[in-house]
Amino acid sequence: VSSRAVALVIALGAALLLLAVRAPRFFSAANLADLATGLAPALVAAMGMTLVILARQIDISIGSQFAICGVVLGLLAKAGLPVPLAAAAAVAAGAGLGAVNGGLVAGLGLPSIVVTLATMVAWREGLRWATEGAWVRGLPASFQWLGLGQTGGRILIVVTAALVFAAVAWGLVSLRAGRAVYATGSDAEAARLLGLRPRRVVFGVFVVMGALSGLAAVLTTLQFIDVQANAGVGLELRVIAAVVVGGVAISGGRGSSLGVLLGVMFLAVLGPALVFLGGKAHWDRALQGAIVLLAVAGEAARQRGADRG
Amino acid sequence: VAERRALGPTAPLLGLLALELVAFGVFGHNFLTLANGFEIVRASVEVGLLALALTAVIATGGIDLSVGSLLGLCAVVFGWLAREAGLAVPLAAALAVATGTLGGLLNGWLVTALRLPPLIVTLGTYSLYRGLAEAATGGVANYTGFSDAFLGLGQGTFLGGVPAQLPVLAAAGLFFWLLVQRSVVGRGLEAIGYAPEAARHAGVPVGARLRLVYVLSGACAGVAALVYVARLGQAKADAGTGFELLAITAVVLGGTSIFGGRASVAGTLAGLFVLALLQNGLRLADQPAELAGILTGMLLLLALALSRERKAS
Repeated sequence: VSSRAVALVIALGAALLLLAVRAPRFFSAANLADLATGLAPALVAAMGMTLVILARQIDISIGSQFAICGVVLGLLAKAGLPVPLAAAAAVAAGAGLGAVNGGLVAGLGLPSIVVTLATMVAWREGLRWATEGAWVRGLPASFQWLGLGQTGGRILIVVTAALVFAAVAWGLVSLRAGRAVYATGSDAEAARLLGLRPRRVVFGVFVVMGALSGLAAVLTTLQFIDVQANAGVGLELRVIAAVVVGGVAISGGRGSSLGVLLGVMFLAVLGPALVFLGGKAHWDRALQGAIVLLAVAGEAARQRGADRG
Repeated sequence: VAERRALGPTAPLLGLLALELVAFGVFGHNFLTLANGFEIVRASVEVGLLALALTAVIATGGIDLSVGSLLGLCAVVFGWLAREAGLAVPLAAALAVATGTLGGLLNGWLVTALRLPPLIVTLGTYSLYRGLAEAATGGVANYTGFSDAFLGLGQGTFLGGVPAQLPVLAAAGLFFWLLVQRSVVGRGLEAIGYAPEAARHAGVPVGARLRLVYVLSGACAGVAALVYVARLGQAKADAGTGFELLAITAVVLGGTSIFGGRASVAGTLAGLFVLALLQNGLRLADQPAELAGILTGMLLLLALALSRERKAS
């Protein structure tokens, strides 16, 4: 267990303890269920981002992917497709969008930060053009919570996210492909000499990232009766923040799934905790930015301490 | 190295500018008029200031994603000081530029003292600065009612139609051209972009140079905030949202390598006007505003792919 994970457990424990003393209402069943349902899509997207950052890349287009996949899900469900099929199509659409990023980065060797900056804007503006900002309304009764009712739907959403987490966490440690992601992020040239194919790995992580953005959109969209046309703005920063706070090195090749889970939980608790403790909600964004900087600065300091021996 | 230095805009970029002039001249209403030309200049000064400063940052192989957010923070600081605290406009303006400079200093310090990647530092401050602007205004406050003398900076004209903010952009352009392409400092910036370690051994003060470019970037965001507030007559927390993307696109279109080492200030200005003509021309040709965003993204990718070709050859 990394020192980052220990630090996060302590920080999370301290926050929860403070809440228990000052605002016990935080632990009401309704609030905890809200929290878990809200956290599930963020965890799914964060697992995709973990792969991307471990492979020494970045994807800031995921908020736009998220918006498009949500609208795809809504439109297909409205057109009469069974909701599970529509959800699968939305995930596939996300994978397709991810393949565009992957093709440009791995195929043409362009820097991922600029490629995904460009696709972030192009997808967002394209969606705005297509929908003219109109929400998808008049969805069938089987749409919200997949027709299972709130409790059943929530359980399904949280279980899906937990399965994705477990699959990525297991794959990263136990599968050849998972080790290849670490190897590519540590040193792409060495990975190539070992017989791995770094460009395929990079292409693959962007495709998986896109599919998981799509799944995150599905898990979010199914909680409502309408589909927003402009969802997911700023999602990329929240997700990158959670992954970096979770101890994944932005320089690639280092980090664990457990840390990411703790990072997602910590940032998800932070906003509501702020409100429960009587703070102002609009400080949330500044605080998230400050925490990202603290996390990377702490990592750099620890790294240099380790270098000096 | 000398022949690889991009001294001016490349032929494809000038071709693109010419193409836009012809296409929008035919399809746009009142596009090819002097008044519209001045309007295009007026609308592009803020992004232009950010793009000029980013040219120096990107020359070193760095990036500054926080400039749009910092513009928002400086705008809010200026609005609050001038309207709520009742400070004299010049003093409020100076403090707003100082805020931008401090913001840039924080970026530069994190990049140099802690050796953190500029991408993640400025991604963090991108949230931090915008978040501080939101927190300061509670997400709702909108400062208006500035004096006519101040609004003249953004809305006024001189010499029968020239926008009042044009000299600001021209001065910044000259400054960055001299700095990046006509000074020892600029040579050092490109050397850092090529190979930081080699630059260090060659005696370039790498840390000081990097701090300088991020501080200049922050200061430019502060000046851009003043021009923005003067042009629109209001200061809100969302000022300058997305400007970082436009500025980076202008720089990369202009032929500055995103990997650092090769920079062109004149190219950045040409790239800036390619984007400005696109937005203005599409509007005058009755096309949806979203199309400009889509084409901007595609242009950025195209410019990147082409710059990679040039790098490989």
